[in-house]
Amino acid sequence: MHEFSLALEVVDLAQREAERNQAETILEISIEVGDLSGVESDAFESALELVVKDSVLHKSIIVITRVAGKGKCIACDLEFEMHQRLDTCPQCRSFPSIISGGEEFRVVSIVVE
Amino acid sequence: MCDTCGCSETDDSQNHHNHHHPKKLINLNVSILSENNRLAAINRKSFEEHNILSLNLVSSPGSGKTTILEKTIEALIPSRKIFVIEGDQQTLLDADRIEKAGAPAIQINTGSGCHLDAKMVGNAMQKLNTESGSILFIENVGNLVCPAMFDLGEFKRVVVISVTEGEDKPLKYPYMFKSSHLCLINKSDLLPYVDFDVEKAISYARSINPGLEFIVLSAKSGEGMQLWFDWLLRQG
Repeated sequence: MHEFSLALEVVDLAQREAERNQAETILEISIEVGDLSGVESDAFESALELVVKDSVLHKSIIVITRVAGKGKCIACDLEFEMHQRLDTCPQCRSFPSIISGGEEFRVVSIVVE
Repeated sequence: MCDTCGCSETDDSQNHHNHHHPKKLINLNVSILSENNRLAAINRKSFEEHNILSLNLVSSPGSGKTTILEKTIEALIPSRKIFVIEGDQQTLLDADRIEKAGAPAIQINTGSGCHLDAKMVGNAMQKLNTESGSILFIENVGNLVCPAMFDLGEFKRVVVISVTEGEDKPLKYPYMFKSSHLCLINKSDLLPYVDFDVEKAISYARSINPGLEFIVLSAKSGEGMQLWFDWLLRQG
């Protein structure tokens, strides 16, 4: 259940950014979670809801955007959407593919006041 | 005067926040693991400066990490100084075993946490009086999921599986196998009694990480252990 630790990392990151920008409140935080990032998005969201209490994020709107996995087949060059790291190419059934998207796990932006 | 904050502006917008504390959008695009990665980079630099070979041992519970370490310590000491950081949710049992085998050890209890992070390792290093030229084993919490994401600053990551587990472990836990450099396949003395297919396990793991190295060994019988010691000595 590393999603809990990751949620705490978000709170610490938000706290640092709030201080750096001399902001009193963070009104909104926007986070991207890639489908191939190794983070279970629902568990992460639940953990985040728990840990923001009593933090700089307690009033924030939390926007979590999932980013679909993208791969390029090494055999036939087809680019296709990947749901798991081990997905085979839908055209030629080759494996593995070069992952070109969906590994994101980042804070995109915050809105401060 | 604004009723909300007492400043001289009138709050004619009926919305305090709009009149003199404008909202500001700050683009960050920063990894959520950036702080851990920063601390891991500090650890890595410190290991390099002090000429310490640091290895992060990861596996599921019961694969035999601690037994491998005990036998490694017995074989390599006194020619090589060895230090160990032990990660478990509870108890000092593993650190006691390591100390009995002859290496100084620090136990980190992660409580409800399921992995070690770079900060815990940095703090443990303050307490371990490591010496130049030594090997530092960081035995992570037994878990093939969570420790994969957390760089500790180690030189290399070693994943341990045992033949009593399924050979499909690499497919089920791809992140760990993707991020490791060496895979030890332990308990080879039990191969005649189980259905574990070594070649299949290796091919599954290589499909995820083509550069992964493998050593098949048994900490109990000693088979293959010399290959592991040779690998260690090749790392510097």
